[in-house]
Amino acid sequence: MNEKIQVQGLTKSYGAHAVLKGVDLTVREGEIFALLGVNGAGKTTTLECVEGMRKYDGGHITVRGKMGIQLQSASLPAHIKPKEAVRLFAMWNHARPNTQIAEMLGIPVFENKPYASLSTGQKRRLHLLLALVGDPDILILDEPTAGLDVEGRLALHELIRRLRDGGKTIVLASHDMAEVESLCDRIAVLHEGKIAFAGTQRELTEKVGRHYTVTLQTTRGKAQFAAEDIASTLLARLQAIRDAGDSVLDLQIDRGTLEEHFIRLTKGESV
Amino acid sequence: MNIRAFFYGVGLQMRLDIRSRTLLVTCYLVPLLFFALMGGIFTSLMPETKATLTQAMTVMGVSMGALIGVPPSLAEVYGTDIKKAYRANGAPLWFGAATVFLSAFFHLFVMSCILLVLSPVLFDAAVPQNLPAYFLSLAVFLLASLSLGTAVGLSVGNQAKLTMISQIFFLPSILLSGILFPISYLPKALEILGWLFPASWGYKLMLDGGLRLSSFLPLCALFAAACAVCVLRLHRLKTES
Repeated sequence: MNEKIQVQGLTKSYGAHAVLKGVDLTVREGEIFALLGVNGAGKTTTLECVEGMRKYDGGHITVRGKMGIQLQSASLPAHIKPKEAVRLFAMWNHARPNTQIAEMLGIPVFENKPYASLSTGQKRRLHLLLALVGDPDILILDEPTAGLDVEGRLALHELIRRLRDGGKTIVLASHDMAEVESLCDRIAVLHEGKIAFAGTQRELTEKVGRHYTVTLQTTRGKAQFAAEDIASTLLARLQAIRDAGDSVLDLQIDRGTLEEHFIRLTKGESV
Repeated sequence: MNIRAFFYGVGLQMRLDIRSRTLLVTCYLVPLLFFALMGGIFTSLMPETKATLTQAMTVMGVSMGALIGVPPSLAEVYGTDIKKAYRANGAPLWFGAATVFLSAFFHLFVMSCILLVLSPVLFDAAVPQNLPAYFLSLAVFLLASLSLGTAVGLSVGNQAKLTMISQIFFLPSILLSGILFPISYLPKALEILGWLFPASWGYKLMLDGGLRLSSFLPLCALFAAACAVCVLRLHRLKTES
């Protein structure tokens, strides 16, 4: 698989505060890649350096392909209408406005309203359309679903999957672990200015260790316990229940969410 | 440069300026109201001002639009995330400044033409003898004033500070240019200070009745200096991110 973005040893400081201390990551063609990290971890700084929007102090960035960018914080003149903005930036990109994607994002509903009167979700959808206007190979989305309602979020997820299936490479920074879990092929966790982990979600689970949460409902009540060695722990518990003359009504095994793995990784547990 | 996108942007900015009350007020409403009020007072109290009324009101209107109206429009782009959105979506950094400049040039030129037509009709003011030279002088004055307004707008990102700093350029332009009273009435130091602003040279140039180098060259120098500041500011904005 071709590498569309390669970042090596990226460093960036704001005054005396070092935000990026040697970030290395690779984004492959046709994948949805998520950059995760707590607030202030440097996700936006990393993406802005890749986008060419921010100068960096050291390291090397290679981008192979045309980028479309949806910034975390972007704005437009208060009185501009979405259809005017789309036309303007389509012209700057020597492209035609994509009506199919505009309709999918629900832009026609508010295309004649001034930008200042749009809701946060409408603004984010507009900026996403603007990012797509030049038909980029690589789409960089910084918190793409922030401010969107459930319907808008699902429509956006569907669009992102379609874009990936159409051959586009998508990089997104997000706080929404459920979103990342359902959308992304690979993830990178940025922690204390470095990449603490990069790989698939399965690889992350293996790295932080399997932490199962077992819930047992018996005739005497409900019990919940954590287990790493699921087989021996569960067998011992079941044996104890049988010996006590009790019977199992329900059994649930939760293998842990991406969020829990992320917290373990960024807190330094099991690493 | 993408010429088609640039000219669409200029046309769009003209429409945005009409929708935006700030520029509508500073480019049309206040200058024309000032003209309606002061034109009546000036020509009643001092009939000799009929000879200079059109030029004086034009200097007032252009200075207001360029120095009070343009800087906030630029701060809206360069002091906010609009600048980032422009860059992210393929527009060059200078695009915002260029479109605001050209749009304001258009609106202030239209306002000046309204003054030129209304002055003789309402107040029996003199019509400039050499109209092509007058329009050329007006254009040069507009360029110098707008370049100063653009330099101020690009240099001060903070809206609250900008209001004060714009006044620092606007008030001396009006008070020391000779449009309200002859500059010979001023103390020497203030007279010299007045020549640092485009308004004084622009007023003189438009009254000269022809493009005299003694007034034309100082305006060109002010224009070049303000443009140099704009280029430096844009370069700084590009590299400081």
